[in-house]
Amino acid sequence: MNLRIIHANIIRANIIVSIKSFYREKTVVFFRIAFPVILILVFGTIFMERDNEIFELSIQDLDRSMSSEQLVAALDQSERFNITPVSPDADAKQYARDNHLNLIVIIPENFEMSLMKKMAADPFETPVTLTKVYDPGAFGVTTKIGVLDMALAKINQEMSGKPPLIVSEPVSILKKKYRFIEFFVPGIIAMAVMTASLFGSVNVNAELLQKGVIRKLSTTPITRIDWILSNVLYQFILAVVSTAVMLLVSYAVFKVSLEINAWLVVFVALDVFAFVGLGMILTRVAREAESASAAADALMFPMMFLSGTFFPVEMMPEFLQTFARILPLYYVNEGLRAAMIAVDHTAALKSALIIGAFAAVVFVLGIMTTRIGGETP
Amino acid sequence: MTQNNKYSIEVHHLTKHYKGLSAVDNISFTVEKGEVFALLGPNGAGKTTTVEILNTIRTPTSGKVMLLGMDVTEKKYDIIPRIGVLPQGFSSFDRITVKETLQYYSRLFCCRKPDIDGLMALVNLKDKAAVQYKNLSGGLKQRLGIAVALVNDPEIVFLDEPTTGLDPLARRAMWEVLLDLKKKGKTLFLTTHYMEEAELLADTVAIVKKGKITAMDSPGELIENNAHHLVVMLKSVDETVFDIVEKMGFAPDYDSHGHITVRLTHTDDVRRLLNAVRDGGASFTGLDVRKPNLEEVFLKLTDDTFLKSVAGIEEAP
Ligand SMILES: Nc1ncnc2c1ncn2[C@@H]1O[C@H](COP(=O)(O)OP(=O)(O)OP(=O)(O)O)[C@@H](O)[C@H]1O
Ligand SMILES: [Mg+2]
Repeated sequence: MNLRIIHANIIRANIIVSIKSFYREKTVVFFRIAFPVILILVFGTIFMERDNEIFELSIQDLDRSMSSEQLVAALDQSERFNITPVSPDADAKQYARDNHLNLIVIIPENFEMSLMKKMAADPFETPVTLTKVYDPGAFGVTTKIGVLDMALAKINQEMSGKPPLIVSEPVSILKKKYRFIEFFVPGIIAMAVMTASLFGSVNVNAELLQKGVIRKLSTTPITRIDWILSNVLYQFILAVVSTAVMLLVSYAVFKVSLEINAWLVVFVALDVFAFVGLGMILTRVAREAESASAAADALMFPMMFLSGTFFPVEMMPEFLQTFARILPLYYVNEGLRAAMIAVDHTAALKSALIIGAFAAVVFVLGIMTTRIGGETP
Repeated sequence: MTQNNKYSIEVHHLTKHYKGLSAVDNISFTVEKGEVFALLGPNGAGKTTTVEILNTIRTPTSGKVMLLGMDVTEKKYDIIPRIGVLPQGFSSFDRITVKETLQYYSRLFCCRKPDIDGLMALVNLKDKAAVQYKNLSGGLKQRLGIAVALVNDPEIVFLDEPTTGLDPLARRAMWEVLLDLKKKGKTLFLTTHYMEEAELLADTVAIVKKGKITAMDSPGELIENNAHHLVVMLKSVDETVFDIVEKMGFAPDYDSHGHITVRLTHTDDVRRLLNAVRDGGASFTGLDVRKPNLEEVFLKLTDDTFLKSVAGIEEAP
């Protein structure tokens, strides 16, 4: 067995053929490059609004006084609401139903008068009450009411002129505050590189094996290590292109603040090595093309959902968190986030060592099980 | 260089077992430089197994195979650059063109400057240079396979069923290519189901059956030695003819056109048979007496019932 021989000319020839085959198959190009970008755009847009959401707020002013106008102006200034007035003649409940509004705030008649009395330091006067007509079944209305109450509390405090007794100040464990999209993009990069490497190598190799191309290749000077390195390098080139596109879109559309450093390249490379190697093993272990794909599916789905791609692992129950720690993708996620969000080199190194060890083992097994240069079936 | 320089291929007592099956059973033969050697046999005879052991991609259970003086189990990477292989059911990368495919395979063999245009001309694919593999017809795919097998200017070319699945025209085109190679003095090792192909191309034909070589000689000799009988064909609508022939102790049969065929050993029998038909009052409208064709010799050599009846063809136990 000639494991040690690596031929640069052969690897180059393989990569040229792979890349030509790739761009001549337009659907593959779409799934490879555009699909992760679409994921980022869709999820990014959904969660972008969560971070800095401006709520629609309808206000029915029955008092129409200076004070009530000031209150509306104060709410407007909080910059959390887009305020629409509701005619005082309307029946608020009916109006809400007719116009699909989930919340209408009613400023009562005599608002100004009650407020004056209260301000005149009559502690026994009941507080001025605003009525919130809301649809308890509507999605997100609780958050909206929460934000409204916070804004009102602030207005209250300013009007009474007393400083608050207790305040809290958030201190992030990260150097700077990060948004969901900044958590999400590294996860999608890790996942996209994983799925493409795994399925790319399984599909291409299973097809070539089934069609007998691998058998023909076995009668040329190509070695197993040439073949697996060609697969890895080809997938790495695609992964770099795809990652670059994902990052460009993220910067352009969401203005993410993610650090780009050498770690990014390291983790993308390790991600490719590990999952191309795994794909090569699956192709060998599974006799038929379909069972290889099914096995790849079975490995990929738990990894996608449990290793912290879409949401932090800490949100899961304890036993699932323990399980996540044996998934290789978990360490790619952790490492990429340590490198790109927190810029924590020690944490990145720790993850890199773990995923690196995994990649090395899988790579060696992959070389040993590749059919090229070995006994044909 | 060894003293066996004269031989391109030497096979000694080669055996390959799969669980409970001898795919190749103790076969031996040699192929000289520049010789065209054909392995002829039915499905499952062990042709591909033999070729792939010769190509270094399967390991023999026992026996010794030397290619260009080197042992196939020890010198894989020394042998491979000097041989060319068209595997059974050749296939290549779907979206890669004819020219790119040839460039790809020649790059695998490194540094030699390949004559891609010459190769395309040889297999008559010059006008298809820019066509992707998946858009080629079966015959053209197979011809590309031959060109691919030649990218490294090999000393021995192995062709596993080069014409199976091709229509008669495409088959003829393939034969032209192979005859060209033969003229160039390449050592060719081919397997086939077709006797006519072996006869046209090969210097030596080995007939294999269930992993064993049942006969090996030049095509002419094979026919000479295995065609002692005559084939008589009678065109007749009269059903009594069949009965008359059968009663004489011969084994008549209907061919695909509905004519009666009879295998006879002596010229005398022909006269006796015709007399008997006439005496029986039956009539026939056509008569043909001929030597058996190659197809029939092949069938005879690969058919168990015949093997048993023909002495000297079964291998000595
Ligand atoms: N990998 C394998 N495992 C088990 N049995 C095998 C294997 N490869 C071949 N065989 C068996 O060995 C015998 C010879 O097969 P082989 O492919 O060499 O025949 P062949 O002469 O090339 O047939 P064909 O004309 O159909 O190509 C067959 O019975 C086949 O089923
Ligand atoms: Mg075969």
